[in-house]
Amino acid sequence: MQFMRSAIVALAIGASTVASQAAEVKLGVAAALSGLAAQYGAAIRNGFELAAEEINAAGGVNGNTIKLVVEDEQGKKEEAINVYKKLIFQDKVLLIFGPTLSNSASAANPIAQAAKAPVFGTSNTADGITAVGNYIFRNSVTEADVLPVTLKTVVEKEGVKKVAVLYGNDDVFTKSGYDNFAKALKDQNIPVTTTETFAKGDVDFKAQLTKIKASGPDAIVLSALLAEGAPILVQARQLGIDLPFVGGNGVNSVKIFELAKGASDNLWVGSPWSASNDTPENKKFIEAYTKKFGLAPDQFAAQTYDALHIVAEALKKVQLSGDIAKDRAALRDALPDVSWTGVTGPFKFRQAVDKSGKPAGYDADQQPIVSVTKDGAYQIVK
Amino acid sequence: MDAFLLWFDEFWAVYSNLILTLGINALLALSIWLTLACGLLALANAAFMGIGAYAGALATMNYDSPFALSLVVAMAAPSLVALAIGVPVLRLGGVYLAMATLGFGEVVRVVILNTESITGGALGLNGIPQQTQWWHVALALAIVVFMLARLHRSKTGRAFEAIKVDETAAGLMGIDLRAHKLLAFVLGAAIAGLAGALNAHLTFFIGPQEYGFDRGVEILTMAILGGIGSLIGPVIGAFFLTLLPELLRGLADFRLIVNGLILVSVVLFLPNGLWDPARIRNWFGARR
Repeated sequence: MQFMRSAIVALAIGASTVASQAAEVKLGVAAALSGLAAQYGAAIRNGFELAAEEINAAGGVNGNTIKLVVEDEQGKKEEAINVYKKLIFQDKVLLIFGPTLSNSASAANPIAQAAKAPVFGTSNTADGITAVGNYIFRNSVTEADVLPVTLKTVVEKEGVKKVAVLYGNDDVFTKSGYDNFAKALKDQNIPVTTTETFAKGDVDFKAQLTKIKASGPDAIVLSALLAEGAPILVQARQLGIDLPFVGGNGVNSVKIFELAKGASDNLWVGSPWSASNDTPENKKFIEAYTKKFGLAPDQFAAQTYDALHIVAEALKKVQLSGDIAKDRAALRDALPDVSWTGVTGPFKFRQAVDKSGKPAGYDADQQPIVSVTKDGAYQIVK
Repeated sequence: MDAFLLWFDEFWAVYSNLILTLGINALLALSIWLTLACGLLALANAAFMGIGAYAGALATMNYDSPFALSLVVAMAAPSLVALAIGVPVLRLGGVYLAMATLGFGEVVRVVILNTESITGGALGLNGIPQQTQWWHVALALAIVVFMLARLHRSKTGRAFEAIKVDETAAGLMGIDLRAHKLLAFVLGAAIAGLAGALNAHLTFFIGPQEYGFDRGVEILTMAILGGIGSLIGPVIGAFFLTLLPELLRGLADFRLIVNGLILVSVVLFLPNGLWDPARIRNWFGARR
C-alpha cells in the first residue's frame, strides 16, 4: 500500500511539473483503514486511488490535478470528528469523502455542515444521513430504496405468497435492514409467517430455522452480515429448507461463496453494482482494478470509483478562485446537477428532506440490479 | 500577538474535539481509579458511562432540560444503579468481581438494545444537541480532581488505602468495609456518568456498541498505564492513550503498530505506570 501511495504521489508530482500553471485540487478521504470496518475501508481507498490516477493521467480536471488526502478514522465516531476537523481546517480540502460507517457519519457530518464543507458518503446507507443539511451528499443507494425492489423481483419470479423473516437485532446495519424489509413487506401486502432474531456472534441458528420451516413460508427474508448470514444459509440447507433467501447488502459479497460453500445458491440480493454487469464502463473498471491491486473489486470500491468521477464532473464546472470558502460553496452548488454513467450505471442526485420536511442533502437516485446466486456466481435477474 | 491569535484559532478549530476528549477520558480514568484505589477490580465503568450518556441525552432531547440538569441526571442515574447492584456484587472479590461487573455491562448493553422505543435500540440516538463547551469539561475535571484529592487525604481516603493493602486488617481496625467499597463504587459510577453525558453532548450521536467490553478495557488501560499510585497517574494515562494515536498520524499505515510497540515498552519498562515518582527520582539519582 505504502508503495502504491508513493507511486501516486510521484505521478501527481510528475503531472504537476508538466502543466506548469496547474493547481492541485485537494480532496479528503476519511475511511476506516483500521479497526473492525477496515475491510471496507481498504476497498474504499483502492477505489479512490484508482479513479484519481485515471483522472490525473487523462490531464486532470480543467488542467488541475486531483490530490487525495487519505486519513484513517478507525470506524469510531470520535476519530471521525478528529479527522474531519483536520481535513477541513488544517488540510483545507475542498470536499470530504466518507466516513465508512453510518454511525461515524451521524457524528461527523454535522461538523462539516457547520463549517460549510461538502461531504460525499460512498458507503453510508442508514436513514437520515443526508437530513443533516445541504452540504451532505451520498451515492450509496440506501437499503430503503434497494430492498423493496429485491423483494418485488423475488415475489414476481418465484411466485412467493408469504415469507418468514430472520434478522440480527443488535447491529445497526441488520436492524435498519429489517426495518426497511418490514416496511416493504407491509407496503406490498405480503404476510409474514414468523419473525425470528439472532445476535452478533451466534453460531447455531437451527432453533430459529426449524421454527421458520414449521411456519411454512415461500421465502425467507434475511437481514444479516456475512459472519452470520453464511452459516444461516448452510444450516438452512442442512435442515432441508430449499426456499429462496432474500438478503440485504450485508450478504452481498463474493465471500459468501467461500463461507457458504455448496449452500450458497438461491440467495437474492440487490445493489446498484454487480460484478456480472457487463457494461463497457464496468468491464474496464474491473480489469483496471484487478490489474492494479491484484484482487477483484467489490461494490464499496465501485461506489467510491464512481464518486470521484461524479465530483470531477462537478469540478469541471467550477471556476476555482483559491478562496477555500468560495470554492467549497461553488462545488456544492455544482454537485446536485451532475449526472454520470459510471460502473454502477446511470446516476443522478435526488434531494432528501430533514425531519421537519425541509429540503436537506442529496441521496442517490439509481436503479438497483437484482442478482441471484447460482453455482458460486451472481446471475443478474432481468 | 495577532499572529498567535490566528494560529490559535486554527489550532482550536482542528483540535478542539481532541482536547475535549482528553478531558472526558481523564474523567473516565479517574472513575475507575476510585474503585482501584479501594482494591476493587470493577469493570462496570463503561456501562455506567453508557447509562449516564443515555440518561443525559434523553433528558436533553425529550424533556428539553437545561444542560446542567442533564448532567445531574447523568450522574444520578448510574449512581442509583450502582447502589442497587453494588450491595450484592461487592461481596465478591478479585476476578469474581471483575466477572460480575463485566456481566453487568453486557446486561446494560442488551437492555439498551431491547428498549427500542426509548433508546433507539441498535440504531442509537441521533441528533443530540452539541452543548458541551471546553469550559464544561475543564470545570468538571477540575472539580473531580479537587474532590478526589481531598477525599484521598481524608479519613475515608485512608480507609480506601487500608482496604486496598489488606482487607482483613482494615476490617479488624474497625473500618466498615462494605460501606466504603459501596461509596467508591457509587462515586465512580457518578463520575463515569458525567463523562458519558459530556461525550454524548459533544458528538451528536450515541449507540449501544460504544459502551461495551472494548471501552471497559480502554478505561482500565488508561488508569493502569498512567499508574494508580496517585491521582495524577490516571490523568496522564488518559492523555497519553488519547494523544498517542493522533501524534502518530503521520506514520499512516504503521500507526497502530508503533502505537502498540510504545504501549508494550511502557508496560515493560514502567511497570507501575507512567507516573511513578520513585522511579523517576531513581533515574535522576543514578545519573548524578
